[in-house]
Amino acid sequence: MSLTVFTVAVLCTSLGAGVVGAILGLGGGILLVPILTIFYGVDLHYAMGASIISVIATSSGAAASYLRTGLSNLRVGLFLVVATITGALTGAFLAGVVPTRWLELILGLALSYSAYTTIRQLADELPEDVSTDGLAIRFDLEGTYHDVRLQRDISYRARNVAGGFVAMYGAGVLSGMLGIGSGAFKVLAMDYLMRLPMKVSTATSNFMIGLTAAASAGIYFSRGDIHVLIVAPVAIGVLAGAYLGTQVMAHMRNTTVRKLFLPIVVYLALSMILRGLGIHLL
Amino acid sequence: MPERPVFPVEHLVARVLLVGGLLGLTLIGLGLGLYAARGGFQGHVLALSPPVDATPPGVFRSLRQIAVGLRQRPLDPLAVGALGLVVLMATPGVAVTLAIPGFLLAGDGRFALIATLVLTMLLVSLLLAGAVHG
Repeated sequence: MSLTVFTVAVLCTSLGAGVVGAILGLGGGILLVPILTIFYGVDLHYAMGASIISVIATSSGAAASYLRTGLSNLRVGLFLVVATITGALTGAFLAGVVPTRWLELILGLALSYSAYTTIRQLADELPEDVSTDGLAIRFDLEGTYHDVRLQRDISYRARNVAGGFVAMYGAGVLSGMLGIGSGAFKVLAMDYLMRLPMKVSTATSNFMIGLTAAASAGIYFSRGDIHVLIVAPVAIGVLAGAYLGTQVMAHMRNTTVRKLFLPIVVYLALSMILRGLGIHLL
Repeated sequence: MPERPVFPVEHLVARVLLVGGLLGLTLIGLGLGLYAARGGFQGHVLALSPPVDATPPGVFRSLRQIAVGLRQRPLDPLAVGALGLVVLMATPGVAVTLAIPGFLLAGDGRFALIATLVLTMLLVSLLLAGAVHG
C-alpha cells in the first residue's frame, strides 16, 4: 500500500474512531487495533503503539471540552483513577502468577451480567432515587451540567463510592494482568454502581483513560512500537474526531449513549469468554 | 453548547489538555507536511512490520534520538512529528501536575493531595514498567 493511500485511509478511519471514543468514553483501541491489523496489515506492535496514542488523543480532545462544560467530573475522575492505577500495578505483578484463562472467563461472565444490567437500564434517562453516600459528600463527588438535549441543568451525586472504587481497582488489576484497556469497565462502574448519568460516566472515563494511557505510553515509545508515519494520521484523525464526538454527544440522550455502548459490552464479554476458552479473536 | 461557570481548576486542566493537544497536533501535522514537501510520500511503500535488525525511519526510541533528528541539517521532518507525539503523551501528566496548585489555590487540600498521589503513581508505574521492559 502506498504511503499516501495509507495516510488518507487511516486518517479517515481514526476520525470515526475518535467520534465513537469520545461519545462512549473508550480509547479507540478496541476499534483501531483490529482495523489496523486486519484491514491495513499493520504489525500488532505498531498497532498497539498507535492505539495508546489514540487513547491519549481521544482523552485530550474530548476531556478538554467535557471539563469546560461540566460533563466530565474532575474530582470523580482523579478519585477513581487512584484505584485504577493501583489495580494496574497489582495486576502487572500478578501477571504470570495467576492463570489468566480463568480470569478471562470470570471477566467475560461479569461483563455478560453488565450487558444484562445495561439492557435493563436502557430506558433510564437519568438515575432515580439516588441515596446519600457519606464518601460522596466528604469528597465532593457531585456536579451539575447543562443538558442541551433535555434543555435543563442536571445535578447529580455519586452513590456507592466504595463499591465503585473497588470495581475500579478490579478493572485495573485485570487491565494490568491481561493487557487490555479498561475504558468500558470505568463507564460501567460509574453508570451501574455509582449511578452517575451515562453522559457524565463516558465523559469522565474520557479524562481517566488519558491518565492511565500516559503511564504506559513511554514504554511503547522506548520499545520502538510508535512509528511516526503510522501514528501521525491516527493522532490527527482521532483528535479531530474526538472534538466532533463531544459536539455530537452533547446533543444526545443518556439512553442513546447507553444503547450505543451496549454492543461494545456484548463484544467484550464474548471476546473475554472466548479467550478464556482458548479462542482468540485477534 | 452554552457554557456554565465551573471551578477554575477544571478550567485550568481543560486549558492544558486543549493547548497540549493542539500543540502536539500542530507539530505532527508540520512533520508530515515537511516530509511530504521533501517528496517523502512519492512512491514510498510503508513497511508495516518492524525490521528484525534495524530501527526503521520514523521510529524514535528516546528523546535523545528526536533531538538528534531536530539538530541535523536538513532537519529530519519525522523528528518534528515525533516531538509532537511526545508533547501529546506528556499532556495528561502536565495537566495533573498543574491541577495540584490549582486545587491548593481553590482551598481544596484534599484533592491537591489526591492529584499528587495520582502523579506519583504515574511516575512509579512508568519507572516500574521501564525496569520490567528495559
